[in-house]
Amino acid sequence: MSGQITLEMLDDIAAGAAFLATGGGGDPHLACLCAKEGLKAYGPARMIAPEELADDAFVIAVGAVGAPTTSLELLPSIDEAVRVVKAYAEIVGRRPDALVSFEIGGSNSLIPIVAAAALGIPLIDGDGMGRALPEATMMTYAIAGISPTPAVGLDYAGNTERFDAPDVQAYEPMIRRFAMERGGMAVSAEFGMTGAHLKACIVPKTVTLSAELGRFLRTGEGNAAEREADLAKLFQGTIYGPLELIASGLVSDYTSKVVGGFDVGEATLECVVKGEEPLKVSVKNEYLAVKQAGRMIACLPDLITLVDFETGWPINAERLRFGQRVSVFRIGSPAHYTTPEGLASLQPLIDTVQG
Amino acid sequence: MRIGIDVGGTHTDAVLLDGERIVASCKELTSADVISGVKAALTELHRQAGEWPRLETVMIGTTQFTNAVIERRELSPVAAIRIGLPAGRGMPPGVGWPEDILRELGDHAYTLPGGYLYDGKPLAPLDEEAMQACVEDIAAKGITNIAISSAFSPANPEPELAMADRVRAAIPDAIITLSHQIGRLGLLERENAAMLNAALRPFAVRVVEAFVGALSDLGITCPLYISQNDGTLMDARFVREFPALTFSSGPTNSLRGAARLTGLEEAIVVDIGGTTSDIGVLRGGFPRESNRAVDVGGVRTNFRMPDIMAVGLGGGSLVSEDGLSVGPQSVGHRLVTEALVFGGSTLTATDIVVAAERAEVGDPSKVAHLPKETVENALTSMRAMLEENIRQMKPDKQPLPVILVGGGAILAPENLSDAAQLLTPEHSGVANAMGAAIALVGGEAEVFADYQEESREGALQRAKDQACDVAVRAGGDRASLKTTEIEETALPYMDDGATRIRVKVVGDLARVPSAGEGKPL
Repeated sequence: MSGQITLEMLDDIAAGAAFLATGGGGDPHLACLCAKEGLKAYGPARMIAPEELADDAFVIAVGAVGAPTTSLELLPSIDEAVRVVKAYAEIVGRRPDALVSFEIGGSNSLIPIVAAAALGIPLIDGDGMGRALPEATMMTYAIAGISPTPAVGLDYAGNTERFDAPDVQAYEPMIRRFAMERGGMAVSAEFGMTGAHLKACIVPKTVTLSAELGRFLRTGEGNAAEREADLAKLFQGTIYGPLELIASGLVSDYTSKVVGGFDVGEATLECVVKGEEPLKVSVKNEYLAVKQAGRMIACLPDLITLVDFETGWPINAERLRFGQRVSVFRIGSPAHYTTPEGLASLQPLIDTVQG
Repeated sequence: MRIGIDVGGTHTDAVLLDGERIVASCKELTSADVISGVKAALTELHRQAGEWPRLETVMIGTTQFTNAVIERRELSPVAAIRIGLPAGRGMPPGVGWPEDILRELGDHAYTLPGGYLYDGKPLAPLDEEAMQACVEDIAAKGITNIAISSAFSPANPEPELAMADRVRAAIPDAIITLSHQIGRLGLLERENAAMLNAALRPFAVRVVEAFVGALSDLGITCPLYISQNDGTLMDARFVREFPALTFSSGPTNSLRGAARLTGLEEAIVVDIGGTTSDIGVLRGGFPRESNRAVDVGGVRTNFRMPDIMAVGLGGGSLVSEDGLSVGPQSVGHRLVTEALVFGGSTLTATDIVVAAERAEVGDPSKVAHLPKETVENALTSMRAMLEENIRQMKPDKQPLPVILVGGGAILAPENLSDAAQLLTPEHSGVANAMGAAIALVGGEAEVFADYQEESREGALQRAKDQACDVAVRAGGDRASLKTTEIEETALPYMDDGATRIRVKVVGDLARVPSAGEGKPL
């Protein structure tokens, strides 16, 4: 779809992005508020489909890196995504023809929209994860072998720093350290690539899908089971595999703790259908896997989303708690993560659920 | 003896307590001016007690401040100053507020450089010139209600204090609310709380004066305390400074009252009213608090609020003809004219329990015609609504006692799944006034610590000291304060050791010698 992203669409995009965030991605409230103020100031953003981009066009990925908890006090600014793109153009010496998001899941779906609106540079309808994942090494751009650098980080005060690294494994800790030294949160512009490269690795049409998902959640009626068929239709013809309701049940146990900077835990769901074994949902910031009686019934790279049974609204893993009546959806992964390279990028996460 | 009063939207309840014992209790209608309802309740207590005993304290829980925000009444213009630039450009104080309430406050927003980062480094130096220009602008506008916030002020309030000094110097009659005194981490939510509080302060002065006046008219001159949203008290001076801390004190009082009426400290409390059933959880005798952002009148805040689930089931809930659907629409306070048993023409939840012979209310012959199937369907629906939501509120698998309070307690079945026992204590109709009467004084503080740089003990002590200071300001006796809650949260994506600590202390009221104590009415 090519068209506009307007102020009125932002709540829907944020809600749809929460659905695709598979329990992670943080609370998009602040990012949504910031994007709304941004579009009030700059007007709507233009969005184009990946195929509208010329093969020799120049695209960069824009988003935020850091600890969501610190942004509780370190507020985002409406112009920071704008400034990081400008700084990138100046430092690297090339103005991008289009912008693209790191990840559609959570806050990062909204950040590049403001830069696109302010600079009149179109935003690509798509992203580099199709969901939320914790590290830059897991972006489809990195999996395709595109260099993340030269990259530019910008802190809350507008200070910039250029990064050059041999590969994404070396870059990831550099940009994270930059964020932690500058108040815990920074924006960055990275993965400069050609239109041809982008088209080969982007997870396409995810901004449009988020807006449609958000609108569906807001306007529809019925519980998660009743809405399964319509939700499945929304995913038909997209880059994702089929959506399927794998179970509904009550959260009968949930414990989590912070390990190495990640929220790690396991939730137990008692199935509504009597006689069935309870489900175990593994969490590491995101929902990673669902097991039943020791048997894996859904696992990364498939997307696993837990929603409130009554309303179908996605539940962030931080908000999951005892007694909630939830439904579990499995959505087939985009092909990007089923290749050997794609799976390899997720291996650290897959190891945690198999080990 | 002490008196507890709860001013609700519909009823003003009151109890007179001699130690643990209820000497008198009553339920009056809340009057438009609030005060005559309070006077009516006090007069009724006096009538029941026969002779006015020696009174130590009067505790009042009131919804007036919450309602003022929700109804956009009694709000004063506010100048909101945030010290946090260069972060948050384009996101001034008031961002995201509904327009109608922002209009009431006047949208006087100022942003200045300064504040701190999570690791204690300054976000930016203070800009003395900009601070002075801001103060002069506010003085020129003639605004005296001022809310000041700064980034990470719960960890380091210095910028808020410096700004307040400057405001006081230029505007001697300024009424200043500092965000670190009122809210938790979360700059926007804390700032919103400070702005609402600032807007309510002139009204708070009038409310306190009216309460003191009403008591004095009836010859009561003992100290007056007001309930806070966490089930603790503040004295009259404190409520003039922090009226916003009364938000949501009604449900808290009903939970605390239920605990006292049953002697249970771990339980589920279901307060069934005319329109909703409010379900809350008692832990150690206090309400479990919500960890979510709470909207008050469309404004996002992070007040410490009880975790309450409101279910659309009350005595006035509408019941469909087949009984399969109950609520959330309700005839509310018109129950006494519109329900079938009262000669009306609307089928309500109350009619169902009367038809099922589970309660004697109104005229049972008016519901004799109801098909058995309708009654049974409705009872099943009502039971499912309660059981489903109780299950969601329960902290874990263990069955807990369920305490029923409020006028609609008759709607509940004789047993519920997940309930270890089901209790409807004596005086359950005035549980909220009871909760007001038994409240303690509390204080809370939240700090950031890096355990690689500071010992855990040191950081906890720092948090406890801050919490005790808050409690003493609210009227507490320092020696009696005990730590009731310590919450440590490691911060995800941050260095190991970076931790948020929240501490809560609770204790007795400091004895205030009062000349008027025990005066006869």
